[in-house]
Amino acid sequence: MILLVLICVVLIADLFIDNEHRVATFWLSMAALAITGWSILATAPIERVVVFDGSYVSDPLSQILKITAVAFVALAFLYARDYLRANDLHKGEYYLLGLFGLLGMMIMTSANSLLTMYLGLETLALSLYALVAIDRNSATAAESAMKYFVLGAIASGALLYGISWIYGVTGTLKFDEIAAVIAAEPDLNNLPLWFGLAFLIVGIAFKFGAVPFHMWLPDVYQGARTPVTLYIASAPKLAALAFTVRILVDGLGGLQDVWADMIMVVAVLSLLVGNVIAIAQTNIKRMLGYSAIAHVGFILLAIFCGTDKGYAAALFYTLTYIVATAGAFGIVILLSRRGYEAESLADFKGLNERSPWFTLMMMFLMLSLTGIPPFIGFFGKLNVIDAVLSSGYPGLAVLMVVASVVGAFYYLRVIWYMYFEPAEDQAVLQASADTRLVLSLNGVAVLGLGIVPGWLWALCTQIALSIR
Amino acid sequence: MYSYYLIIVLAPLAAAIVAGLFGRQIGRAGSHWITILAVGLSCAFSCLVLRNMFWGGAESENISVYTWAVTDGLNMEVGFLVDRLTALMMAVVTFVSLMVHVYTIGYMHDDPGYQRFFSYISLFTFSMLMLVMSNNFLQLFFGWEAVGLMSYLLIGFWFKRENAIFANLKAFLVNRLGDFGFILGISGIVMFTGSLDYAEVFARADSVAAQNIEVFSGTPWNAMTVICVLLFMGAMGKSAQAPLHVWLPDSMAGPTPISALIHAATMVTAGIFMVARMSPLFELSATALAVVIVIGAITAFFTGLLGIVQNDIKRVIAYSTLSQLGYMTVALGASAYGAAIFHLMTHAFFKSLLFLAAGSVIIALHHEQDIRKMGGLRKYMPITYWTALIGSLALIGFPGSSGFFSKDLLIEAVKESHWHGQGAVYWIAYLSVLLGVFVTALYSFRMFFLVFHGEERTDAKTRSHIHESPWVVTVPLVVLAVPSAIIGWITVEPILFDGFFGDAIVVRQGIDVLAHLKETIWHGSFALFLHAVQTPVFWLAAAGAFTAWFLYLKRPDIPATIKARFSGLYNLLDRKYYMDDLYIKGFAAGGRSIGNALWQKGDQLVIDGIIVNGTANSIGKLAGVMRQIQTGYLYTYAFAMIIGLTMLLSWLIWFR
Amino acid sequence: MDFSQYILSLLIWLPIVGGVLLLVIGDDRDVNSSRSVTMRIVALSMSLLTFLISVALYKWFDNSTPAMQFVERSSWIPAIDVWYYLGIDGFSAPLILLTTFITPLVVLAGWDTIKIRPAQYFAAFLILEGLMIGVFSALDGILFYVFWEAMLVPMFLIIGVWGGERRIYATLKFFLYTFLGSVLMLVSFIYLYGQVGSFDLFKFMNAPLGMTAQKLIFIAFLLAFAVKVPMWPVHTWLPDAHVEAPTGGSVILAAIMLKMGGYGFVRLSLPIVPDGSAYFAGLMIALSLIAVVYISFVALMQKDMKKLIAYSSIAHMGFVTLGFFLLWSISSGTGAGLGMTGGMVQMVSHGLISGAMFLCVGVLYDRMHSRQIADYGGVANTMPKFAAFMVLFAMANAGLPGTSGFVGEFMVIIASFKANFWFAFCAASILVLGAAYTLWMIKRVVYGEVANKNVAALKDLNQREFIVLTVLAIAVLLIGLWPAPLVDMMNVTIEQLLQQVAQSKL
Repeated sequence: MILLVLICVVLIADLFIDNEHRVATFWLSMAALAITGWSILATAPIERVVVFDGSYVSDPLSQILKITAVAFVALAFLYARDYLRANDLHKGEYYLLGLFGLLGMMIMTSANSLLTMYLGLETLALSLYALVAIDRNSATAAESAMKYFVLGAIASGALLYGISWIYGVTGTLKFDEIAAVIAAEPDLNNLPLWFGLAFLIVGIAFKFGAVPFHMWLPDVYQGARTPVTLYIASAPKLAALAFTVRILVDGLGGLQDVWADMIMVVAVLSLLVGNVIAIAQTNIKRMLGYSAIAHVGFILLAIFCGTDKGYAAALFYTLTYIVATAGAFGIVILLSRRGYEAESLADFKGLNERSPWFTLMMMFLMLSLTGIPPFIGFFGKLNVIDAVLSSGYPGLAVLMVVASVVGAFYYLRVIWYMYFEPAEDQAVLQASADTRLVLSLNGVAVLGLGIVPGWLWALCTQIALSIR
Repeated sequence: MYSYYLIIVLAPLAAAIVAGLFGRQIGRAGSHWITILAVGLSCAFSCLVLRNMFWGGAESENISVYTWAVTDGLNMEVGFLVDRLTALMMAVVTFVSLMVHVYTIGYMHDDPGYQRFFSYISLFTFSMLMLVMSNNFLQLFFGWEAVGLMSYLLIGFWFKRENAIFANLKAFLVNRLGDFGFILGISGIVMFTGSLDYAEVFARADSVAAQNIEVFSGTPWNAMTVICVLLFMGAMGKSAQAPLHVWLPDSMAGPTPISALIHAATMVTAGIFMVARMSPLFELSATALAVVIVIGAITAFFTGLLGIVQNDIKRVIAYSTLSQLGYMTVALGASAYGAAIFHLMTHAFFKSLLFLAAGSVIIALHHEQDIRKMGGLRKYMPITYWTALIGSLALIGFPGSSGFFSKDLLIEAVKESHWHGQGAVYWIAYLSVLLGVFVTALYSFRMFFLVFHGEERTDAKTRSHIHESPWVVTVPLVVLAVPSAIIGWITVEPILFDGFFGDAIVVRQGIDVLAHLKETIWHGSFALFLHAVQTPVFWLAAAGAFTAWFLYLKRPDIPATIKARFSGLYNLLDRKYYMDDLYIKGFAAGGRSIGNALWQKGDQLVIDGIIVNGTANSIGKLAGVMRQIQTGYLYTYAFAMIIGLTMLLSWLIWFR
Repeated sequence: MDFSQYILSLLIWLPIVGGVLLLVIGDDRDVNSSRSVTMRIVALSMSLLTFLISVALYKWFDNSTPAMQFVERSSWIPAIDVWYYLGIDGFSAPLILLTTFITPLVVLAGWDTIKIRPAQYFAAFLILEGLMIGVFSALDGILFYVFWEAMLVPMFLIIGVWGGERRIYATLKFFLYTFLGSVLMLVSFIYLYGQVGSFDLFKFMNAPLGMTAQKLIFIAFLLAFAVKVPMWPVHTWLPDAHVEAPTGGSVILAAIMLKMGGYGFVRLSLPIVPDGSAYFAGLMIALSLIAVVYISFVALMQKDMKKLIAYSSIAHMGFVTLGFFLLWSISSGTGAGLGMTGGMVQMVSHGLISGAMFLCVGVLYDRMHSRQIADYGGVANTMPKFAAFMVLFAMANAGLPGTSGFVGEFMVIIASFKANFWFAFCAASILVLGAAYTLWMIKRVVYGEVANKNVAALKDLNQREFIVLTVLAIAVLLIGLWPAPLVDMMNVTIEQLLQQVAQSKL
C-alpha cells in the first residue's frame, strides 16, 4: 500500500540529507515514523483486506503490530540518539537501517504469502546484520554480526527449503489458499507437508531465538552496540510473532496437531535453558538476551495452545514484554557514557545513590519482567498460564511458574546491585530531557498498564478472534 | 458484700501499681505506707467476711464480675465464689501478708529495691486472693500462674546473685511442669462438662465419673481419675510435692519475708487449697485419692529426712515446709480435707513465724545463714528466741499448741482412713506421717539448739554487735506467735467437727474420716489435750526433741562420727536423693542436647543445607555448566541448529 | 457514615500515597535538616491517620453478621472478570486493626535510628502497610494475589537495604522461598477461574470440585500459606530473614506478614476446598505439633536473640494452624469453634508480642550493635525500665495468663484436648518449653551482674522507645485481661465458616 512507498520516499530523502546535518536525520526519520504511524491509523481497516493479488493482507493484527513496531522503532531511535552522538556513531545509518528494518517488519506483518513473508524477513534480517556491525571499530560487533549473518543464512536456507516443500505439496504460496487446499484434501496432510513445516519452524524458532536455534542471540545482544541491541530486542519480536501466526495459523492451521508438539518442545527448552543460563551471566545485555529466550518460551507456549485465547495471550505477552525490555535497554543506554559501555551487571551497583528515580524505573522494569504484580508482565504471564490451563496442560503451567521463580533470581540480582550494593562510581547520569521523560514514561508504563490492563487484554482478544 | 470483695482484691493491686510505677515519686515511706494500708484494709475486710461466715452465719456467694470472653458456647467469666473455705483462706492470706509487709520495713530497710519489693508483695497478695476467691477454672489458673510469676520475680529479687536467678528460673520451670498437667486437667474438665464454672462442673461431676477416656487407645480410663490426677500435677508443682519439690529449697535464695509469705504460708498451700476446693471431683475417684495420699506420704517423710542434714537455717525450715505440705496432702488423700485446711492454717502461722524469726536472726548476724556459725543467741535476742520456741513447738505438735491440734488429728484421720484398700497405700501413708513426727522434732530442735543454745560459734566481730531486731521485726513475730500458740483451742472444734465448711467441701458417704473421728475420739479440745500423752505422736515428738538435744547439745561430737560411719546414707541425703542431678543433668541438659541436634542436624544440615540451598546451588551449577554450551564458535551454533532440525525431522518420521 | 463505603480503599491507598509522597520528599544527607524532619512527620502522621481511620472501621464494624462489610465492588479487568472487590469480615477486621496499630509504632521505632535513606525506609513501610491491608480485604482472586505478591517487594528492599551482614542471602531466600510458594497458588486460582469463569472468591467457594482437584488445590495453597506462616519444614527462611532484617522489618514480618499464612487458610483453603482440607487435616495437625515441639527445642539453643524470637514465632504460629485444623477431629459440642477462635486470637496476640520482643531486641541492638545473648548480662542494672518491659513481654511470650499470649493458647489447648489427648499433650508442652527458652534468655540477658563495660555504659529507654513499648504493653495486657471485644468480632464469622466447611463439595 501507499505507506510503503511513503517510507521509501522518506528514506531516499534521508540518504541525501544525513551526511550534512546529522541531527536532522533523527528528526526526519521521526517525522517519517510519525507519518507512517498516522497513515496506518488512518487506513486502519476493521476486517481483513487482501491486496497485491492476494500476497499482502491488512487486518487488525497487522495494524496493531505495525503501529507498535513504529512506536518502538521511534522509541529505539530516541534512546539511541544521545548514545550515538556521544560515541561518534551519529551517522544516518542507524536510522536508515532502522527504517529499512521497519519496512521489513511491516511486510512480514502483512504478508499473506510465503514469498512476501520471505521477502520481508530478508529485508529485516539484512538491515539487522548491518546494524549489528554498525560500529566498524568494534571487533566484537563485527564478530557477532558475522555469526548472525552466517546463522541467519542457514535459517533462511531452511526456510526457503521448507517453502519449496510446502509449494511442492500444495501448489500455492498464499496462506489462505494453502489452508484451503489442506482443508480440501486431507490426504495431503502427511509427511512431505510436515517436512516443509519442520523447516518453516526452524525459521520461526531462529527468528525468535528459541532453543536450540538461539545460539546467535546472546552473542548478538552482547556484541552489538546497546542501541542496536535495543532495536533488535524490541520491534522484531513483533515481526516474529506475525511471522509465526501467519504461517502456522493462517497458512498451516490445519496442521496444528503436528506443529503444536514441535512448538511445545522448542518452547519448553527455551523456557528452561533461557532462565537457567541467564543466572550465570555477568553481562546485563547477555543476561537480557537469555531472558529474552525464556520469554520467547512463554510466547511460543501461548501459540502452542492453538486457541484464540492462546493467540491473544501471545500477542498480549509480546507487546507487554517489549515495553519492559525496551525500557531496560533504555536504562542500560542511559548508564553508558562516552567510550564506556555500561554492560556489566556490576555497573548497576549503588545506582540508587546516583539516581533514585531511574533506579525505581529499572526496578519496575525488572519486576515486570519477573512477572510480579501489579506490573504488566504479571498479566502477560497470567494470560498465558490461563490459556495453557484452559487447553488442559496443568503440568506445563506448573513448569512455567517454577521456571519463572528460577528466573526471578537474576532479575532480583539487578535490583540487589542497584539497592544493596555501594556505588562504585558516583558519576551522575546525563541524558537529554526528552529521553528522561520518555524513559520515565516507559518505566511508569509497566506499572500503569499493570493497574489498568483491561483494555489491552480486550483488544488482544478481539484481534485474536479476527485471525483466520 | 460484693463491693467488699472488690475492695479486698483490688486494694493490694492498686497499691502495687502505685508503688511499682511511682515508687520513685512517693519515696520509700510512701510506698510502704500505701501497700500496708491497702493490705491492712483487705485484711480487715477479709476478717469481717470470715466473721460473718463464722458467727454471722452468712451464706456463701457466687458472683460474676465480668465476662472474659464467650466463644463457641464456652462462657469464660471472671468472678468470686466466697464461701467458708474461701473466707478462711482470705483471712489467713491477708493476715500473714500484712505481718510480712510490716516485717519487711525492717528486713529490707537498707535495700535499694525497697519500693519494688513492696509493690511485688502486694501484687502477690492480689494474685493469691484472685486464686482463692475464684469461682471458675480460668481465673483459678490465672491466679495460679500469677502467684507463680510473683514467686519468680521475688525469688530473683536480688537479680545480681547467680543463685537467685538460677533458683527463680528453676522454680518457674518446675512449676510449669505442674501447670502442664493442670491445664490439661482443665481442658479435660471442659471436654467432659463443657464449662469452666465451678458450680456447673461440680453439678455434672457424676456424669463425668461415669465416662471413660482412652489416653492410650484400647485402655479406657475413668475420665474423672485422669482429670483429677492431671489437676493434682498442678498441685504437686505449686505445693512442691515429690518429685516436683526440688524448686522450693532453692527458692530460699529470695529475701526471707518472701520465704515466709510465699514459700511457707500462702502460695505453696495453693495446691492444698485447690484439691480441697475440687473435693467434689476428687471424691469421685478413689484412684486419684490414692495417688494423692501416696505422693503426700513420700513427700512428708523423705523431705523431712533431708531437713536433718541441712546447715542453712532457711533451708532447714524449707524442708520442714515440704514435709508439712506432705502432711496436708496426705490428709487430702485421706478425704480429711478439713484436717488439711486446718493444718494449712496453723502451719501458715507457725511456719511464717519460724521464717520471720530466722530472718530476724539472719539480719542480726548480717546475713549469715549457716547454723554452724551461730549458737547461744538466746541471751542476745530474747523475743526472737521465745517466738522461735513457740514456733518450733507448734511445728512438732507440742500438746496445746496450734500444731498439736492440727497434726494430731490429721494423723488420727489418716489412721482411720482404712477404706483406702488396706495394705500398701494405707500403711505407707500412716507410717510415714507417724515417723515424720519424730523426724520433724529432730530437725526442728537440731536447728533450734544449734541457733540459740550451746557454744557461741559466731566470730567475735559479729558477736560484738548482735542485738535484738527493731520493733517492726519483733512485733510481727509476737503477733504471729499468739495464734501459733493458741488458735488451735478455739478453732479446732468448729473447723473439723462442726462442719464449718458446709457445702464448700464434699466428702463421699462412708469415707468421711472426720465424721468418724467425731464419733470415736472427739470429746472436746481439752480432752484431746489430756489424751495427748497416750498417743504415739507425743512420744515420737518428745523422742525427736530429746535426740536433738542429746546429739547437738550434750554430745556434739557424735553427729560427726555418725556422718563418717554412714557416709553413704549421708551423701544420699546431702545430695537430696540426687533429684537435682536428675533435673539439671538429666532433663535440662537432655533438652539442650535435643535442641542442638534438631537445630544443627535437622534445620541447618538437612532442611537448609541439603534441600533449600542444595537446590539453589545445584541450579547455579547447572547454569554454570550449561553456559559452556555457548562456546562462541560459529560451528557449534550451526551444529546446534542442525541437531535441532534433525530432532524435529526424526520426530516427524518416527513418532507421527 | 457515608465515607464508610470507601473506608477500605482509603485504608489501602492512603498509606501507599503517603509512601509515594515520602519518595517525592526524598532524602537528605543531614538527618536533622528540616527536609528530613518534615519527611518523618509526614510518615508518622500518615500512619497515625490510617490508624485513626481503622478505629472508625472498628466502630462501624458489625459483630452480629457473618456477611462481608464495607464492600466495594467495581469492575477491573472485565475481559477475565476480575473485580476490584473489597470487603471484610471477622477474620480480616482484627488483622487490619493489628496492621494499622503496629505500623505507626514501627515508624516511631525507626524514627532516628535509621541513618541511610530514611525516606525510602519509611516509604517502604507505608506502602507495605497499604498492600497488607489490601491482602486482608481483597475478595477477588487476582486482586488478592496482586497484593500478596506486591507485598514481597518492599520487604525484599527493607531487608536488603537496611539489613545486617548476611542481608542479601537472607532477603533473596525470603523472596524466592515465598515467591515459589505463591506461584502455585496463582496456578490454582487460574484453574478455579477456568471452572467458574470468574476470580470472585465467593464463586470459588461455591465451585463444585472433585476430590483430586481439591487435594491438588489444597497442596498448592498449602505451599503458599505454609511458607508464610511458616510451618515446619518450610520455615527456614524466617530465622535468617528476621536476624538480618532491621528492627522494623522484623516487627512487620513477625507481627503481620506471618499472619497472611493463617489468614489464607481461613479465607481460602478451608472454604474453597473443604474436603481437601479435611483430607489433609491430620497432616496439618502433625506439622503444627512438630512446629510447637521441635521448634521450641531448637529455640532453646539459639545464641542470637532475634533468632530465638524468630523460632519462638514459628512455635507460636503452630498453635494457629493447629487451632484451624482441629475441627475435623472434634466430634461434637464445644471445640471446633474454640480452636479456630484460639487460632485467630493467637495470631493477633502473637503479632503484638513478637513485635514487642523484636522492638526490645532492637532497643538493645541500637545501643550495642550486637544480638548475641553472650554479649549481654545484667542489663537490668543499667536499664531498669527496659528490663521491666522485657520481662513483661517475655512472660507474655511464655503465655502467662493476664497477657494476650495466654488467651489463644488456652483455647487451642482446650480444643485439642477434645480432639485427642496427645494433641493437647504436645501443644501444652509449650507451657514448659516456651517458658524455658524465653526465660533462660531473660536470665542471661537481663539478670545477673553487669557483664561487661558495654553493658555498664547502657542508657535506659528514651522517651520515644518508652512510649512505643508502653503502648504495646497496654495492648498485650488489655487483650489478656479482657479478650471479649476481640473474640466477639470473629464469633459469628467463625460459626459461618464452620457450617460452610461442614458441607462437603463432593
